[in-house]
Formats: sequence, C-alpha cells, structure tokens
Amino acid sequence: MQGRYKSRTFRRTKKTTPGARKIQHYTKRKPKKQVCANCCSILSGIPRLNDTAMRNLAKTKKRPERPYGGVLCTTCMRAEMIKKARQIQL
Amino acid sequence: MMETGQVCMKIAGRDAGKIAVIIEKLDQKFVIIDGQTRRRKCNIAHLEPLQKKLEINEKASHDEVKKAFKQIGIELKDKVKKEKKEKETEFSKGHAAEKGTKKKK
Repeated sequence: MQGRYKSRTFRRTKKTTPGARKIQHYTKRKPKKQVCANCCSILSGIPRLNDTAMRNLAKTKKRPERPYGGVLCTTCMRAEMIKKARQIQL
Repeated sequence: MMETGQVCMKIAGRDAGKIAVIIEKLDQKFVIIDGQTRRRKCNIAHLEPLQKKLEINEKASHDEVKKAFKQIGIELKDKVKKEKKEKETEFSKGHAAEKGTKKKK
C-alpha cells in the first residue's frame, strides 16, 4: 500500500475483477451534511462538495433563497420572524 | 381577523420579513396581498398580523396602496428595470473583425 493511502481520509472498498480476484480500491470521503445553528436538524438545499468545488459554484446554488437560508431550518426561521413582528411598533 | 385593510408581515418564503396589506379575501385559506412584496396570492398561515388597519377599498390599485402606506410612515420602493448593455468581447463583433488575415498554406 502506498504511503498516502494509509490515512483515514481515504476509505477502503472491496471489488472483484473479471478474473475473479479480490482487490482493494481507495476512494475519498465527502463532507458531512450541514445542520441548523439552533436545533441541529439537517438542512436541505446545500450540496455536499469539497472546498474547491464549492468555490466554483454560483452564489445561488449553494444555499436556499430565503432569509437565514443555509443557517437556520424553516421552523426556527419562522419563530424568529414571529418574534420580530411582535416587536414592531408602527 | 384577516380582512381587507389589515397590515401584516410575511413569515415564510423568500420575501419573509416584509410588510404587506390584505386587498381581497378569496376563501378560508387564501388572500391577495400587496405592499413591499409582489402583488400575489398568499396562505393565511404564512402571515402574522400587526397592530394597524388601513382604510382602502377592495381590489385597490398599487398607487392607492402606496398612498395609504405613506400615512403610516412606510415607503414603498418600485423596481426600475435596467437596460442590458452588451459587453464587447472577442466574439461579439463577428468573423469580419478578426485581427489580421489567415494565410492558407
């Protein structure tokens, strides 16, 4: 095994060849799913890519199009908006 | 509670946090709103009522809503469409404007 494949950023998968031999391949891992800053539930609308791939995407493809998109989940965002509405004095 | 003239704030969607007024009531679930948001249909569950009521007719136009909001102290900005300018690149001028001429060998 080559030196750089010993680290745990590579995961080991098992494969069989057409000649019926069992071999090992090394694949890279993806980053984890992002979570809400308040309640730690999983957020949707954010792709799971590494740093260089995310930097090449357009701004609207990395997060949903609403306030606190990519930071808070929908239930936590609605609770914040209701708080703001009750503090407004017209 | 939710009748024409009630000022409220949207709590869901991409225009959450913006203030609007109810123009027309369609049925138990849907209303039509106008204000800082676009003029569109909305679910009552996505609106939070505020403490004021405006005096407007049913199905008022956008200008009447603008005047009524000014009396409270909220200014509505209208979007101005920008004209698209074409950028000058190598390919925008066409094949006739290529620098120099190609020589056939």
